[in-house]
Amino acid sequence: MTWLIADVNTTALAVFAVVVGVTLVVTYFASKRVSTATDFWAAGRGLTGPQNGFAIAGDYMSAASFLGIAGLIFLFGFDGFLYSVGFLVAFLTVLFLLAERMRNSGKYTIADVLAFRLNERPARGAAALGTLSVVAFYLIAQMVGAGVLIEGLVGIDFWLSVVLTGAFMVIYIVAGGMLATSWVQIIKAFLLMTAAVVMTIWVLAKIGGNPLDLFRDARSKSAEGDAYLKPGLFLASPLDTVSLGLGLVLGTAGLPHILMRFFTVPNAKAARSSVMWAMVLIGAFYVMTTALGFGARAILGQGGEEAAGTTGNFALPLLADELGGDFFLAIIAGVAFATILAVVAGLVISASGAVAHDVWSNIVRHGRDSEKEEVWVAKLAAIGIGAIAIAIAMIGGEGLNVSFMVGLAFAVAASANFPALLLALTWRRFNTAGAITGVLFGTISSVALVIISPTVWPGPDSEGGALGWYDLANPGIISIPLGFIGCWLGTMLSRERVTDRSFDELYVRSETGLGAEAGTGLTLTGRSSEREREREPAAV
Amino acid sequence: MTHTHGTGAGRTAGPVAGGAEGSERHPEIDWVAAERSPEFRELIRRKKAFVIPATVFFLAWYFGFIILAGYAPDFMGETFITDGLTVGYALALTQFVMVWALGWLYLRKADRVFDPLAHDAAREAVHAERTATRRFDRDTGSTTATARGQDAAPADREVTNP
Repeated sequence: MTWLIADVNTTALAVFAVVVGVTLVVTYFASKRVSTATDFWAAGRGLTGPQNGFAIAGDYMSAASFLGIAGLIFLFGFDGFLYSVGFLVAFLTVLFLLAERMRNSGKYTIADVLAFRLNERPARGAAALGTLSVVAFYLIAQMVGAGVLIEGLVGIDFWLSVVLTGAFMVIYIVAGGMLATSWVQIIKAFLLMTAAVVMTIWVLAKIGGNPLDLFRDARSKSAEGDAYLKPGLFLASPLDTVSLGLGLVLGTAGLPHILMRFFTVPNAKAARSSVMWAMVLIGAFYVMTTALGFGARAILGQGGEEAAGTTGNFALPLLADELGGDFFLAIIAGVAFATILAVVAGLVISASGAVAHDVWSNIVRHGRDSEKEEVWVAKLAAIGIGAIAIAIAMIGGEGLNVSFMVGLAFAVAASANFPALLLALTWRRFNTAGAITGVLFGTISSVALVIISPTVWPGPDSEGGALGWYDLANPGIISIPLGFIGCWLGTMLSRERVTDRSFDELYVRSETGLGAEAGTGLTLTGRSSEREREREPAAV
Repeated sequence: MTHTHGTGAGRTAGPVAGGAEGSERHPEIDWVAAERSPEFRELIRRKKAFVIPATVFFLAWYFGFIILAGYAPDFMGETFITDGLTVGYALALTQFVMVWALGWLYLRKADRVFDPLAHDAAREAVHAERTATRRFDRDTGSTTATARGQDAAPADREVTNP
């Protein structure tokens, strides 16, 4: 990628400034509106379905989707597309099993759902552990990725890129809470979709307009020939492929920053329509990743491989440069920057919920703190988490294995958070001990299996794994069943008796929305229903 | 009726006044009875009748695809209809169509069937509560704080501290 670092790219810097400027204006407006805890964590529950759909898309599609998948397709052909498919199908799991139930039964964090019917403090502790583990792995991966990308695309140093990313993310959250974060994500999703559509049309025009030529040209430009359009170049072990698929499809339904988005809409109907919007946007985007990835191969050919880097992350910027020169490259860099900012902001606000709402307010202070204190602690937590993420990304540096961290985040989400949440909502017998053992089993097995996987230990180039017989890079197929077994085992071994009432209450509430949290009427331009809000308590 | 629970958990939620947060708007609802009501049972039955087969179908279709990708790469690499398009890519595209189609079907079903049933079940629960509260002391309202005591506190703050 040395071709890019020659000098600071001033056009790209200007585009970055525009992105940052627009998001800061939105944050300024948001900062004047956000006052209560519901405003801060749930944007007052005032987003519409389409708005939240865009925000989910913006929250979900990281630079790993934009640059990473296009890069994988560029390098390995068909196997890269397997990721796209898994990332999209995952939303059916979210839609059918969790979206509306989260909206109806939760408040600010996924721990609320567990604490609703289980012994509050241990249940919150377990859920906070799951949330913070996922966020930690995912966030560090994003920060390192941000540093590498911005350094490569704009020419400013890695450390400065990391610090700037962390600083803006913290500003959005501390000043504008979830309202600002949501709008940053909406703007980013709009930019990302526009960039993908423009590039796809451009690529198709360049190869002559026939989408099939995309595959034919790509195949002829690849040293692998026919194998380029077949599975197996990147994912050589069949069992590993299945394990990856399982982790992707269930992992999304355990990502705290995605689930938290369902607290920002007024009701279950808006929650499910937001998933549909997100599925349309994300699906359309992932279909376009094939045009971008195969297009990069067809247009750049074998020669681009070295410049694209070992993970292929720079294939798309190279393609942009080839298509539209410096200016278009700068635009794509700006979109990539917006992409990263939106994702890290979503991650950190969900972590701030786990720290302030779950650990501080309910575990440490037993719920006796004021709402003001809770929001204050959340802001301090956001600053603290941002600082820690910046520090780790800088210490770990560019050498940190980013894909391993993302894989770990999905594995913990699928193996710890998803089983506990699903069973809390659907299994009458489930109890506190089950939630704790489930989260522990899921988290520990994911981390342990990733550590002994051949890509991590003994090292990326090793032939076999540390144990010889164990050679899975993706732990899902083992760790997800272990998470469920942990939930079951803990439940069965504990003598704790759950009253029917707490399950019935959660069950009826999650399915009907009776008693679900109401919003505060917050929007970016003001409180839409000031009068309605005042009337609310009197209506009881 | 099962309004026999103590305040448990030792949370001092304060007087449950309801509030903008909304979670305490129906503190006296008999949730056990609501769960057993015919309206709620019907909702769950109809929901399961859609969600379970749909979930089984999408998981089967997706894992069928993934297993083929893992274990039958040559089959996936075969030409489908025309040169350049492979069986694997065509199958991958069916996944996108499946996601959109199932999503659209679910939304339609939810609007037409699940929402009205959920509305009925909720209305029935509130109605039952109104008749029941005449027979029970208002204090039973604090029992809901057992399950989610923390919710009561912010709701309370909201009211006393606007």
